[in-house]
Amino acid sequence: MKPVIDKRLCKGCNVCVYICPKKCYSRGADISEMGYYAAVASATEKCYNHKREGKLICELCVLSCPDQAISWHPETEEDLKK
Amino acid sequence: MRTPRGEYFLQGNEACVEGAMSSGVRFFAGYPITPSTEIAEGLAQRLKGTNGVFLQMEDEIACISAIIGASWGGTKSMTATSGPGFSLMQEAIGYAAMSETPIVIVNVMRGGPSTGQPTRASQGDVMQTKYGSHGDYQVIAFAPASVQEMFDLTIESFNYAEKYRVPAFLLSDAEVGHMRGLLSVPEQLKIVDRKEKGLKRADEAYDVPDDLVHPFPTFGKGHKAMVTGMTHAEDSRIEPEDVKTHQELVKRLSEKILKNRKDINKWELVSPGSKTMIISYGSAALGPKEVAAKDERVGLLRLKSLWPLPEEPIYEVANQCERILVCEMNLGMMYWPIKRVALEAGCKKVELLSKIGGEPPTPSDVRHKLRGMGAI
Amino acid sequence: MEIFDFYRKDRWPHVFCPGCGNGTVMNCFYRAFSELDLPLERTAFVGGIGCSSRIPLYISSDALHTTHGRAIAFATGLRLSKPDLKVVVFTGDGDLGAIGGNHFINGCRRNVDMTVICINNNIYGMTGGQASITTPHDFLSTTTPFGNKEYPFDLAELAVAAGANYVARWTTRHVHELTKSIKTALQKKGFAFVEVISQCPTNFGRRNKMADPTQMLEWFKESSVRRDKVRTAAVDHFDLNMAGQITIGEFVDRNRECYEELIGVEKHG
Repeated sequence: MKPVIDKRLCKGCNVCVYICPKKCYSRGADISEMGYYAAVASATEKCYNHKREGKLICELCVLSCPDQAISWHPETEEDLKK
Repeated sequence: MRTPRGEYFLQGNEACVEGAMSSGVRFFAGYPITPSTEIAEGLAQRLKGTNGVFLQMEDEIACISAIIGASWGGTKSMTATSGPGFSLMQEAIGYAAMSETPIVIVNVMRGGPSTGQPTRASQGDVMQTKYGSHGDYQVIAFAPASVQEMFDLTIESFNYAEKYRVPAFLLSDAEVGHMRGLLSVPEQLKIVDRKEKGLKRADEAYDVPDDLVHPFPTFGKGHKAMVTGMTHAEDSRIEPEDVKTHQELVKRLSEKILKNRKDINKWELVSPGSKTMIISYGSAALGPKEVAAKDERVGLLRLKSLWPLPEEPIYEVANQCERILVCEMNLGMMYWPIKRVALEAGCKKVELLSKIGGEPPTPSDVRHKLRGMGAI
Repeated sequence: MEIFDFYRKDRWPHVFCPGCGNGTVMNCFYRAFSELDLPLERTAFVGGIGCSSRIPLYISSDALHTTHGRAIAFATGLRLSKPDLKVVVFTGDGDLGAIGGNHFINGCRRNVDMTVICINNNIYGMTGGQASITTPHDFLSTTTPFGNKEYPFDLAELAVAAGANYVARWTTRHVHELTKSIKTALQKKGFAFVEVISQCPTNFGRRNKMADPTQMLEWFKESSVRRDKVRTAAVDHFDLNMAGQITIGEFVDRNRECYEELIGVEKHG
């Protein structure tokens, strides 16, 4: 499973960038439709849950995100190659 | 649980307890304060063995807050207090009006301001009942003048609170609360329950259109009720910034009561055609009642409900008489709105017999004043 | 439970500031509630006045948004009149500990069955950043522009002394522990109190050299000291200043009879 940021909810607080122990996120450089520098899930292949189904190991980002902007999505074939 | 049919000799506060039990009260939160404490003590006894709850809370603010919370759980709930506690409750009273929560508050009025005269009567809180909280709102208030009325008007307070989803007040005082007298309880009692959301309406005891009263979404029934003191739209959305939403809400809360005034007004008339009419309420009316009963030159309009102001009976009386004497145990509170109505009706002579200090005006106080007015 | 079965979709997104800890606490609560599979329609939410007190209005169930400081009193009435309803209170440090102090300590003492989540951001955030009874000594706020001369309350210790059945304190930096603690609190009979030290970057952090929410989270992490279940006297001292510590953990987990048991309240229909 990989984390996906919903840009309509992200307010660019960067708590995910800070909290992720594997540095999967980085600060955004582009202004989103909502007017924030939305964070980017730039390195999801580093996530503890990369190539994992079922019970997830780490959910610090999902639990910490103040705007409920992060959710788990199944990985695509391309994701799985990383 | 309700008081069995029969004749009783009780204290006013005890009769209030019986009225509450007969209405189906199932939640009482109180705090000790003279001269209302007997009501709390009585309900502590009477609620035992029923599925009702008695709580002594840490302060009056907790009391009024708890009874509002309990009302949202679907129970008829009540508190009883006096002046200092009543002042503490004002914020939450405004909340109950704004959130349209049916609750009953008994205020056994005592000498004020401040700690004042804990064991003596006054009628000093009558304006506070209507204007005590901030903002525009309407309430329903009754003024008992006997042990019987402590029973009857407690039931009316519950009925109207339920019917109009509004805080209702029983404005007693230390005299009426502590006097002992006869209580006659009939077999049949008119009890009104709130119009619950999702339930078919049961037969109502009063037949008045109430389309301004929304059905009550009791908690725990899947209504997903959103109850708030903030300005809200009809669907409960919070809209504090919206001018129109606020206007519509506050006006409806007011209209809900004012337009149903004729249903709510309660009064007693003695010798209504007299040239001189006394207008009074509560224990201040006891002296005038004796005077009116014995002297045909004098009549009495005894108000049994104070809010909303019973304009219609006051107007009618003022229209037909030459002079009015308002009798109350404060420095002139109901006097002013009564005078306003009387002047509108064309009666220009409206005087005040104001007696403070704890004793209700005696018949000789009243006669003395009437002589001074040239009425007798 | 699906996220929009739990939250009210028509009120989304919420109004909390970027980086506000309220959203984090909501996540942990939602997770705890879902994992316990509690019935949402038999749960009522009560809040006072303040940012965190708004949380009940975002949840798709009966919500009572009350007057400032009185949430516990309202909740007491609601719960005792309808004992088959689970009652959860969301409140803040000022709402609970300042204006609501009397209801807080008596609520703990009375031990009515309810879960109280106090989101302590050490400030009055909604009204613009005035000092609270948990603002650390020397810190700046709009009403302490030269430094707070007062010292803060330790809300968790107050709850312990007042008799609550379950007391825990965590921070928004400790999401897993917080979630687990909320689960315990929700299942606990009696008054269960969870204090969450949370960031208000807009009105607290910004005036105290921590405008970025991540700076506040780092500060929570650095200042947190764990405690075990056994209370150790006098060692735990909550004094949230730059040199101080936040004691986190479960403070007490006991089984005093809850008020419903003491008065024998039957479950109503």
